[in-house]
Amino acid sequence: MAIDTVPPLIAAQLNDLISHSSFPIKVEQMWSGCKNPSLLDRFTLVIPFCLDYIKWDVIYNAIYPLAAPDIIFGPEDESFSPYNGVNEAVDSKSSKNCLADWNSKDPSRLLRLIIELRDAYTTYQKKRVGEVDDDRLKFELSTMLSREGIEMCTSSGIDKPEEVRFAVPLLEMDINKLVLGSTWKRPQKIYLQVIFPVGKKSPSAPRLKLVSPVELKALFSIDDFKLPPWLEGMCMAEYLPTLEEMLQAQITDAVLSIEVRRKFIMVLEPLFGRPLEADPVFCRKATFLANSGVFTFLVHISIPLQFPKQKPTLILQSSQHFISHGAPVKSPLLTDYPWSPRWEASEMAGRIYDFLVDECLNFKKFCNESMVLLR
Amino acid sequence: MGDFSIEKILISGATLASLLHRSSASSGDLHGFLFGHVVFSDSIPLSDDDTTSSSPSLTATITSFISLPSHLPLPPPITLSFSSTLLGWFSARRKTPLRPSLKDSLTTLSLSSSCSLAFTPHNSTALHPPSLFLLLTTPLQDKLIHTHEYKTYEYCIPSKSFEPKSLSIINIGPFFRSHYDSFSPNAPFPLINCDLRGSNAMVEDEEGETLEAIRRALKNQKKLDMCAEGFEIRRMSKLVGSEAAIYMGELEDLYDKMLCKIDALSKLVEQTSVKVVGQENQNMKLRYKVAGME
Repeated sequence: MAIDTVPPLIAAQLNDLISHSSFPIKVEQMWSGCKNPSLLDRFTLVIPFCLDYIKWDVIYNAIYPLAAPDIIFGPEDESFSPYNGVNEAVDSKSSKNCLADWNSKDPSRLLRLIIELRDAYTTYQKKRVGEVDDDRLKFELSTMLSREGIEMCTSSGIDKPEEVRFAVPLLEMDINKLVLGSTWKRPQKIYLQVIFPVGKKSPSAPRLKLVSPVELKALFSIDDFKLPPWLEGMCMAEYLPTLEEMLQAQITDAVLSIEVRRKFIMVLEPLFGRPLEADPVFCRKATFLANSGVFTFLVHISIPLQFPKQKPTLILQSSQHFISHGAPVKSPLLTDYPWSPRWEASEMAGRIYDFLVDECLNFKKFCNESMVLLR
Repeated sequence: MGDFSIEKILISGATLASLLHRSSASSGDLHGFLFGHVVFSDSIPLSDDDTTSSSPSLTATITSFISLPSHLPLPPPITLSFSSTLLGWFSARRKTPLRPSLKDSLTTLSLSSSCSLAFTPHNSTALHPPSLFLLLTTPLQDKLIHTHEYKTYEYCIPSKSFEPKSLSIINIGPFFRSHYDSFSPNAPFPLINCDLRGSNAMVEDEEGETLEAIRRALKNQKKLDMCAEGFEIRRMSKLVGSEAAIYMGELEDLYDKMLCKIDALSKLVEQTSVKVVGQENQNMKLRYKVAGME
């Protein structure tokens, strides 16, 4: 399927949607509803909602691309019908919806429509959660609603008990601004996913999980964070402040540790020379050029988040030995060198240097052997 | 309004086939109105099971439809004739999931909540809104054997939701005998008075006839004569007897002339069809131009 067979008016709207959306929207598949199957006018959008995804089919008409698109919602959302509520009609804003005055020449229309519908969907799910007959849930809702940006939804399947899922955005601070020169495109927000089982006589603890964008891993790994225990009879309003306090402290530490890593890279410089390449934002990686006699090689140093508690890992890469497809010969991960987190940074650097003076001879041998194997 | 829900939806095989053909022949998606009639019946359950209480129910029969490309808005609903009412609408879209879309639910809502469109089923007094929705799609996967999918819904106003209903197809055959027994024909054509001129035995009785009626009868007669080209029914008597042989020749002449006429007509139809196709292609090109797809 080539993108050039999407009629230009539709393609413009779709591209605008994908590049300008504040939340990552993906196109799952595209297909044609015309007699000419090379004109693609239908596609499935994968839209993030409540730490999960909703899939909506957008139906355009390639023959009449000036007409507004139609949307088919997910099979479990048949009762979701935006723009038709009698109560909503009172609200003058919603009575004039995006579809009413469609302008196909304006590429931002599809994005506006999707945002409008996603907002309506958020309200719809909130209403559904409000209708769930569960005392604890009602209490949680009444105490939690003062927090902004909470998304929630109910889910139930044939073989699954009914559950209510919350996505609670944590921490007011803007992590993007904490890291100088960060290259993150999207806001790095950490969410707590809370799943309440519904309808059980004795309320059990909800299932809790932290969720963050993948890119945040360069600074802070939520997998390393230990959630505070959920005590019996607790509610979210009690739990969240403790959690946020702990998280805030750890993120502040994570931001400070960037500087520790930066200093470490700097003390490597007198020994190895200026790095060929170094990660200037998170200071997780640095590559140096080294030689032993005529044997020249690269030293890749990657510094873990728990530095200096954990030692960096080293990989050597020859610049003279290449195996098939021109790939250079690389050493396995090297960590077998003396280390103590209590040492001064210059001591750590010195030990690594001393280790490599010996190790590079082994590596040279390893390189020559792998070349012999090739012949 | 709409106290009773529609229990059964029937459609004749021919109507459904025509609907399916129309949607597969069109270049894009279609939508349109469904017409037919609704009968209110106090159904008596056949079993002696008490749980199935004899509740009055409505049976809707779809007899005809109009369709137009779905990028055009549906026209203001019209009534085809006094015997058929607007039952609802249909949407035919290729390669889409078989679920009502955003537009489908909005259109159905506006149709079913319009008081002016509500109709009274036969032998009933309660008003019923046009709340039927027939969804036609083609399967998303190409590899499936079937080429069409359809589902009928009735829009339930109190719960604001679509209720799936089964659609029964009526065909010709002994099994469907009862449908034809209860069928009352309604011809949409005006009846042409084809009294034979000259069989004037009752002329004296026509004194009461107004001048207007006579004029209309004359006009009709003229039309009939045009078709017959001088071969009035009176001359039929010549088909028997001694003159028959000559008369046969004359009749064959007439048939030849008719065939020529039909031939000319079909040529005309062919030519206009070519023109229509040409115009459609021209329209398509213009649309492509507007959409920037040249």
